[in-house]
Amino acid sequence: MDKILEERKQSIVLKNELGCSGSGINCDSDSVSGAISQRACVYCGARVVLNPITDAFHIVHGPIGCASYTWDIRGSLTSDDDVFRTSFSTDLREKDVIFGGEKKLEAAIEEIANKYHPKLIFVYATCIVGVIGDDVEAICKKMSDKYNMHVIAVKSPGFSGNKATGYRMACDAIMQVISQYKDQPKVNGINILGDFNLAGEMWIIKSYMEKIGINVLSTFTGDSNFESMKKASSATLNIVQCAGSSTYLANRMQEEMGIPFIKVSFFGVEDTTASLIKVAEALGDNEAREKAINFCKKESDKIEGFINQYKKNLTGKKAAIYVGGGFKAISLIRQFKALGIETAVVGTQTGKKDEYEVIESIVEKDTVILDDANPAELEKYMKEKNVDILVGGVKERPLAYKLGIAFCDHNHERKHPLAGFDGVVNFVTEINGSINHPVWKYTRGKGACHYE
Amino acid sequence: MSKTKIEPMVNLNTNPCKMCMPLGSVTAFYGIKNCMSILHGSQGCSTYIRRHMATHYNEPVDIASSSLTEQGTVFGGETNLLKGLKNLIEIYHPEVIGVSTTCLAETIGEDLPRMIGKFYAENPEYKNIEIIPVKSPGYGGTQYEGYFSAIFGVISSVSMQTEANDCINVITAPLTPADTRFLKEAFEMFGLKIILLPDVSDNLDGGYKEEYDKLPSGGTSLKDIKKMAGAKATIELCGIEIKDSPGKYLENHYGVPYYRINMPVGLRDTDIFYDLLSKLSEIDVPEEITIQRGRYLDAMIDAHKYNGEGRAVIFGEPDYVASTVRLCVENGVMPLVVATGSVCNDLKGLLKDEIDEIAKKYFIDRYEILQDVDFKTIEALAKELHANLLIGSSDGRRMEESLGIPLVRRGFPIHDRVGGQRLRMLGYEGSLDYMEDIANALLSKKEADFRENIHQQYYKKELQEDKMKELIEDKTKNHPCFNGCASNTARMHLAVAPRCNIQCNYCVRKFDCPNESRPGVTSKILTPIEALEKYKMVKKEMSNLSVVGIAGPGDALANFEETKKTLELIREFDPDVTFCLSTNGLMLPQYANELIRLGVSHVTVTMNAVDINIGAKIYKYIDYNGVKFEGVSAAAILLANQLSGLRILVAAGIICKVNIVTLKGINDKHIPKVVETVKEIGCYITNIMPFIQVKGSVFENLEPVSNKEVNEIRNLCGETMKQMYHCRQCRADAIGTLDNDRSLEFSECKGNCGSKKIEEGNSYTFAVASKSGMLVDTHFGHVAELYIYEYKDGDVCYKEKREIQKYCTGEENCGDEADKIDNIIKAIGECDGVITMRIGEAPKQKLNKKNVKVFVTYDRIDTAVKAAAEQMGNGQED
Repeated sequence: MDKILEERKQSIVLKNELGCSGSGINCDSDSVSGAISQRACVYCGARVVLNPITDAFHIVHGPIGCASYTWDIRGSLTSDDDVFRTSFSTDLREKDVIFGGEKKLEAAIEEIANKYHPKLIFVYATCIVGVIGDDVEAICKKMSDKYNMHVIAVKSPGFSGNKATGYRMACDAIMQVISQYKDQPKVNGINILGDFNLAGEMWIIKSYMEKIGINVLSTFTGDSNFESMKKASSATLNIVQCAGSSTYLANRMQEEMGIPFIKVSFFGVEDTTASLIKVAEALGDNEAREKAINFCKKESDKIEGFINQYKKNLTGKKAAIYVGGGFKAISLIRQFKALGIETAVVGTQTGKKDEYEVIESIVEKDTVILDDANPAELEKYMKEKNVDILVGGVKERPLAYKLGIAFCDHNHERKHPLAGFDGVVNFVTEINGSINHPVWKYTRGKGACHYE
Repeated sequence: MSKTKIEPMVNLNTNPCKMCMPLGSVTAFYGIKNCMSILHGSQGCSTYIRRHMATHYNEPVDIASSSLTEQGTVFGGETNLLKGLKNLIEIYHPEVIGVSTTCLAETIGEDLPRMIGKFYAENPEYKNIEIIPVKSPGYGGTQYEGYFSAIFGVISSVSMQTEANDCINVITAPLTPADTRFLKEAFEMFGLKIILLPDVSDNLDGGYKEEYDKLPSGGTSLKDIKKMAGAKATIELCGIEIKDSPGKYLENHYGVPYYRINMPVGLRDTDIFYDLLSKLSEIDVPEEITIQRGRYLDAMIDAHKYNGEGRAVIFGEPDYVASTVRLCVENGVMPLVVATGSVCNDLKGLLKDEIDEIAKKYFIDRYEILQDVDFKTIEALAKELHANLLIGSSDGRRMEESLGIPLVRRGFPIHDRVGGQRLRMLGYEGSLDYMEDIANALLSKKEADFRENIHQQYYKKELQEDKMKELIEDKTKNHPCFNGCASNTARMHLAVAPRCNIQCNYCVRKFDCPNESRPGVTSKILTPIEALEKYKMVKKEMSNLSVVGIAGPGDALANFEETKKTLELIREFDPDVTFCLSTNGLMLPQYANELIRLGVSHVTVTMNAVDINIGAKIYKYIDYNGVKFEGVSAAAILLANQLSGLRILVAAGIICKVNIVTLKGINDKHIPKVVETVKEIGCYITNIMPFIQVKGSVFENLEPVSNKEVNEIRNLCGETMKQMYHCRQCRADAIGTLDNDRSLEFSECKGNCGSKKIEEGNSYTFAVASKSGMLVDTHFGHVAELYIYEYKDGDVCYKEKREIQKYCTGEENCGDEADKIDNIIKAIGECDGVITMRIGEAPKQKLNKKNVKVFVTYDRIDTAVKAAAEQMGNGQED
């Protein structure tokens, strides 16, 4: 069996009978050099969170690579402007590295300001920008003043932490904008945090809120824009969907704007139902609560038959989960459980200690739990546990296929929503379509067909 | 808000047509057996590149990272790299490791050879593992340079064995695994043993195996690489000469003969390729290959006419682009935009003659060969030059989306389709596939579009004319001066034309022209820019403002420059605005076409006579092109110009109205003749107006006609053509909210029409809130439509139904109640009263403010209208 690096051993635990493994999992730390982490970097984290702001100009200040690999690859949809789908980069070259890139950045911002008069520009400072001594913050400040717009420096050199650091950088950047509009009268309504409108998921959530009579003021950051962001401070409640990326923002908004928040999840029937009711309760809105109960009942009744039908096809299967954040993993474990699928391997790139504790408490005995896993570990445990399906990102997909394992795309590039009641239908359909696909009749030791 | 249209930028790369050096470097290492890559830099570089490659190759791509941290960046990343190498070896047990630098490592000045030396010294057990350093900062070039940089790194750092062997070194520009397999087979057919570097055929396109092997076990072995110094030749399949050529290095250091030819793409280059193989092997080209050649040529002929319509944009890595251009040219596909994101000075020189030749045949005088370019620039050129085909990687999909032309996918990356790793372009068969993909893209586009295109181009032409007519009819319907009754639209006159070129006897020039303005009030003259500003201001206040007229105070065409500029400015601001213009017609023939071009849809010509003797009595003089004419000659010139000008306008579908001032004893009996004449020309309506006495004019003592007399003439002429009776609707409150600009609110009808209403007495228009259409049965705030009824002399007449939706200013404004009320009020327009079952206090007040009376009742509509009209007459309301 494959060897596990000594330094990685603390990041892998087996759920035991007591449900708790001593000092717990080692997480939220730097990746081990050479271990082939599946994590990206600070810049990636910042970009993921900010990119869905549809009318912002996102300038990547640095050499071209960081812009190339993040250009219009994510499935955030817009109901309005689509500037965010265009890649802008200062494309630094050798001579800029020697003489500095400040002039180039300034010229770039000026050109955008003069041509498009935007309200909001994010400047991502990537790895070498700080090293070559560019004072990005000073330039952003100068340009903000000169053109009366928000030019926000997002200091996101890849080496300054991991993806989660990038989330915080993004949240700080958001705060930098919305804090300037914080003295607004309260309005009855909520903000939705941590949903990026992948395949229209924000729209689904918003439509539910509308149905139960809850006003949505502002969204972070799926299908948001400068105008909508400005309204954020007048909300009475924040709800946080992707906790990993946006809890930090919710905390800051609570402290600085007095907006309380609750964590929610719209993945799976149970979570969606509970979340909707919870939002109503948090608002103390009995009418909305009634409506939520009735609405969820109606919607779950609608798909109950469908789920029961598919469940027959899925019960007893084993799943592996490897996703970005802990909350998503927790939600997936529960969704699988509802379908009769046991989670045998579960890991995250940037899960937190408390999230791992929840994971441990809900999985079956002997489930392998990993933080910042690498392909070799995933391969080892998926083979050991003989899982039927892996849920993960784009990089993990070919690995699953090479091992003859089905796959569910739970990543930012997907083109079908997985949130809400419709999302459940899509999820179940996708799982069934991959797990029960005929191609697996020929893999994993089944051998070739013979003439008889 | 709408979508922002992004244009190419000067100081920004907008949508990159390139990736970075480490990606190329890693790709090259994927062609070496049992080799792993580690990037010295941030964790993200490795992850992003893995993701990017995984989507193209559909293979697991494992690349280690030294995962530099803050500390490593400040104090040097040696510890991270050494630990990374150790961990990588422990997990994967590779024989070769490629260590590529990134932006960060190069910027902080990491010395790879020294660190690798240290690694060997500290870990003697790993001395047999070949660790190869490559300088590949992201800012140093694109993946193309990174790829060659890695190959050069391999050849220059591996200790070579110089004993002669019978192998041929083959070095290629980046290829798909499928094309790599082709190359190996091709050499084999000639019995030539090759060392192909790199050989990605298996590692980036592996089959399903029962046991997954995470270490890339295909590719060129280190053992073979060492033999490259003793090979009998090196062939570089690169159309573009590489700066640090591995082949030249081998020639210079080890005397290995060096050949460089284009990649075997297309007929010519594949011929040359096989010819070289034949010469090197001293074996004739096998029959099988000749058959393939014939088949490709045959296919070229079959497709030549389809390909001949191709006007292509070709983008990607330099070698790929050069080969594709040559394939396109031999197939008659015209390369209009040839672009690479890399810096490649040789590209232009290499391709210019080639493209010139075909461009000349097609009489195409412009094409572009570009280097170091981004997609926004390519896209703008593609549009400008009318390309109909894109050839390149999936990164062209945004252009495909916005330009609506097909993208033939080749090159790297192909991430929105499966099978990118198996796309072929080498050899006769690969070329055939490629060529047919191109032809089929053109064909499928044509097949999908030709019916609609031809229909649009020919059949629709007629329809378009109809549409134009329809549009003008529509505009007429909503034009208060042409169809005042039915319209709730507002218009404004812009006083930009102070000068007049004729002197009418009923007019005093120091005042405004009485045709179009109330006498005695001198308007403030606006410059075109002021006029635009005024329009913007009024438009902001009145969203139903949709007609702009130029009616003096002099003659619009005597001040043509101002008129033209004004119309152009307003059109630019508001493309949907309706333009009308009033003139005496003297300059009409000269400017009629210009007016049509400016989009003037409605023209009013004041024409008091079609008999020059009568005209001579009405006009004192005309000033025609700087010459003053009087009497009959003045009237003759004026008349001739009025008539010919109207003919031009009518022929172009412009709606023409003729204003006639009734001058008792001078033209009152002649008016029917005027009407007949203009009817014949095709004018739309005549507006017979009473003469208004103006003190100081020649006619100051002429007896005015009564409204009754004017109406009699109108009735008489009504038998000939449409007459303008009711100017009540044009009352000043159409622009009446703008108290500060009364002079501009003046309506042409005011002088004579205001009195008509009084004279006619009991004529009212009501807006009725009804759901059923039979009863007044709904709440004012709930109506989806209003029924407009006219009450006239005891008769109740249904006029029309107005949908409130149409009065919405925008979807988002239609949601809430307050906006809805505003929209309903807008829909009410010029009505005198509203009849509804119930109404809120706020809207009631709003209506009262607008001088619209409100009646609350539950009754049959006609009964209710009658009752309301009676109350109006008595000055009552609810």
